[in-house]
Amino acid sequence: MTLGPKLADMIKNYSRLSTSIASVIGLVVVATACGGDDDDNSITLYSGRSDSLLQPIIDRFEDETGIDVDVKYGDSADLALLIDEEASAGRTEADVYLSQSPGAMGFIDDALAPLPQSTLDLVDSTTRDDDGRWVGLSGRQRVLVYNTDLVDPSELPTSVFDLVADARWSDQIGVAGGNGSFQDFVTAMRFTEGEDATARFLGDLAALDPVPYQNNSAIVAAIGRGEVEVGLTNHYYNFRALDEAPNDDDVASANHVFADGDPGATLIVSAAAILDGTDDADLAQQFIEYLLSNDGQTYFAEETFEYPLVPGVSPAGNVPPIEFTDVGAIDLEDLDGGLGRTREMIAAAGLES
Amino acid sequence: MTDLATPPRLPTPRRTPIASPTPLLVVGLAIGAVFAVPAVYVAIRAFDVDRPLDDTYQEVVGPLWRTVQLGALVSVSAAAIGTLLAWATVRTDLPLRRFWRMALILPLVLPSFVGAGAFIAGLAPGGIIHDALDLVGITPPRRFRGLGASWLVLTVFTYPYVLLPVSARLVALRSNQEESARMLGFGPRQAFIRTTLPAIRPAILAGGLLVFLYTLSEFGAVQLLGYDTLTRVVFSTRRDDPSTSFAAAATLLVLAVAVVALERRLRGRSSPDGRVAGVAHRPTELGWRKVPATLTCIAVLGLGLLVPVLSLATWAGRGIQNGTVGFGELVTPALNTAVVAVLAAIITVAVVLPIAVETTRRPRVASSVAAGAVLGGFAIPGLVIALALAVIALRVTGFGWLYQTLGLLVIGYVIHFGSQALASSEQAVRAVPDRVREQAQLLEPNAWRRAATVEFPLMRPGLVAGGGLVMLATLKELPATLLLAPPGFVTLATEIWGGFGEGFYAETGAASLLLIALSTALTWLLVLRPTARR
Repeated sequence: MTLGPKLADMIKNYSRLSTSIASVIGLVVVATACGGDDDDNSITLYSGRSDSLLQPIIDRFEDETGIDVDVKYGDSADLALLIDEEASAGRTEADVYLSQSPGAMGFIDDALAPLPQSTLDLVDSTTRDDDGRWVGLSGRQRVLVYNTDLVDPSELPTSVFDLVADARWSDQIGVAGGNGSFQDFVTAMRFTEGEDATARFLGDLAALDPVPYQNNSAIVAAIGRGEVEVGLTNHYYNFRALDEAPNDDDVASANHVFADGDPGATLIVSAAAILDGTDDADLAQQFIEYLLSNDGQTYFAEETFEYPLVPGVSPAGNVPPIEFTDVGAIDLEDLDGGLGRTREMIAAAGLES
Repeated sequence: MTDLATPPRLPTPRRTPIASPTPLLVVGLAIGAVFAVPAVYVAIRAFDVDRPLDDTYQEVVGPLWRTVQLGALVSVSAAAIGTLLAWATVRTDLPLRRFWRMALILPLVLPSFVGAGAFIAGLAPGGIIHDALDLVGITPPRRFRGLGASWLVLTVFTYPYVLLPVSARLVALRSNQEESARMLGFGPRQAFIRTTLPAIRPAILAGGLLVFLYTLSEFGAVQLLGYDTLTRVVFSTRRDDPSTSFAAAATLLVLAVAVVALERRLRGRSSPDGRVAGVAHRPTELGWRKVPATLTCIAVLGLGLLVPVLSLATWAGRGIQNGTVGFGELVTPALNTAVVAVLAAIITVAVVLPIAVETTRRPRVASSVAAGAVLGGFAIPGLVIALALAVIALRVTGFGWLYQTLGLLVIGYVIHFGSQALASSEQAVRAVPDRVREQAQLLEPNAWRRAATVEFPLMRPGLVAGGGLVMLATLKELPATLLLAPPGFVTLATEIWGGFGEGFYAETGAASLLLIALSTALTWLLVLRPTARR
């Protein structure tokens, strides 16, 4: 046999062999990965906030304390469903649950353990659960993002109610009706303004033919493209867009904050809770308190552009400061139970995204 | 003593007895039952009604109609494009057709929500398509959403499901009938319609069915494009209104069953496929039509792959400039993704094979039902399958150890993507001619050794193709992975999702490009290279 075909045969056999070896290795990896990691020094975290946001600060916690954190990232609602099912089956896998908003916490209220008072006292009483089952980690403010090329800032209203009363915004408002922060915003309005005013607001908004989007970042991207002129979303997306763009001029969107005390300027907190039935409550508490420490809060301020909730830590340089008493921060305890009704009201107005 | 008066008694014609179930059929039915588990769970939950039926009906009927519309439109257009491209790259003298045959499959490597998002970005002012269209003087619409947008985007991402089986069939099909028709005076188009088209009809129908089922369960892209389908109802009501959520999922299932039955009816009894190796076809000469044909290939590949990739590269490029994106931290997710995808592919092909053998060699109602269960798995949204499996693992005694292990995740993949291996496996089984099997039975009594030395090498190309499709689908799977994977198990798809939702587009771009590169490399290495050498 000449060298060519022999070599070709060898390569053919090699690739077949390597494929089989890869499969075997794969199976071994699977087998070893399957085993639960039940170290004495580890906790399991279910996080509704993505790993792009949290992994850096989690890594820092692991380095500093030597406690391993196994994280399951996912959608806050899906993780809440899982926790609910696990609790019903009497089998709690997670130690800590981080949610995008308090709404998801309300769904699994029974599965949460009360937090130690020392942890709760780290933040203002308006940014934690009245029953002590969850504590706020960082704040996200509702704003109106607008396209700087198409909209003159002087046209923008000071109240979200004025926004929906003005036909100028017909077909130009981006809304993510199925998104958690929008639902929290509506729930907050229900408690500060009452059910009737909220129903009227939703009806007026729907009458203006808002353009539905999947989530907040889709709204901000659409505004940047000029697809819609304004949108109801959270404050930090624009700051992240500015951070990513090589020049600030490339970003055609900007935040407009409604007047203090207006429901349009509601502060929504991301929440953390310890699950009932965990064996590592003290480690879990250590983790949460780390996120509420100077290190943790500065991280949220500087890297994710959110509002730190611990007094004494300031937000990132270009994020406008707020006082918690200014932002119509509602009795967040009431946010929990009301989510189902909120969803119904949004759907009844025809606004589901 | 024989009595010469009475005629010899001929044996009474024996009625063919109903063949008793073979062990393989029992195995196949058991496997089909496992595939049906999420569907059964959905049905049980759907009947657990706590809202007035009329309310649920109102919520579901509009999205149902829209889902059917979209599914039908996309299946038809994907089938048309897929068949046309298959014919062009197999039976004509199109320049670079071997390259096109491989390249045109590539849109399958993109997760649909990434593709749709990148597409939208490309159409925006400053985006690639926008600038290109500007050159030609067309201004794209300011808002790219709704039925038209969804139809376009889903078609260019799903036509490979038709392209693959149809090209495989065209390669193996003898062209003598078509040549005879030409000799009898039929024009090329007439000859094609009368001879080749009926022969490839089963392949077109099978591919079209996959496209329809995919559209049923697809969620990310249609949500981005603002088209309200049944999956949106399933998704948005899953926590606060589970009965509506499961009612919508059950509706999807009923639709799937109806379409699967329709496809089986339309397919009829497929002709036995005598395996002919290395058929030489005289390529149809295109002449001047080479130019529009090549342009069509470029346009389809451009829309389905190049545009999204360029948008993603723009996003990633900004991150690399800023230094915010590191490919180093994507290595573990990439490894996880590759390993679990290959594993899922191997297991799926193995699991689906008994059913494929039974439906091909001994077609009967029972095996068709098992095949239907496998196909139905593709219509159920991955999220629902994952939830069903999680709940069962938690509640049913004896399965608790499976919860939050990779094993359960792989089971989820197998159930969701089994359908992708089924059609190719059926082709693979048909690739072993009965003659060969009978002769092998004479020479080698041991069934296992026979299977290994005679049947398996002949089936390999089809099995590998099926495994390749499952692998591609698993590489980009998202919702089931998020729900079922053990804590700490991250794939490229979940990384993409994390960045996308929070507006970190640079990370999304980098992870997406890495996923595309990985998918392409794995497909070429494990699927195309071994089977191309013939």
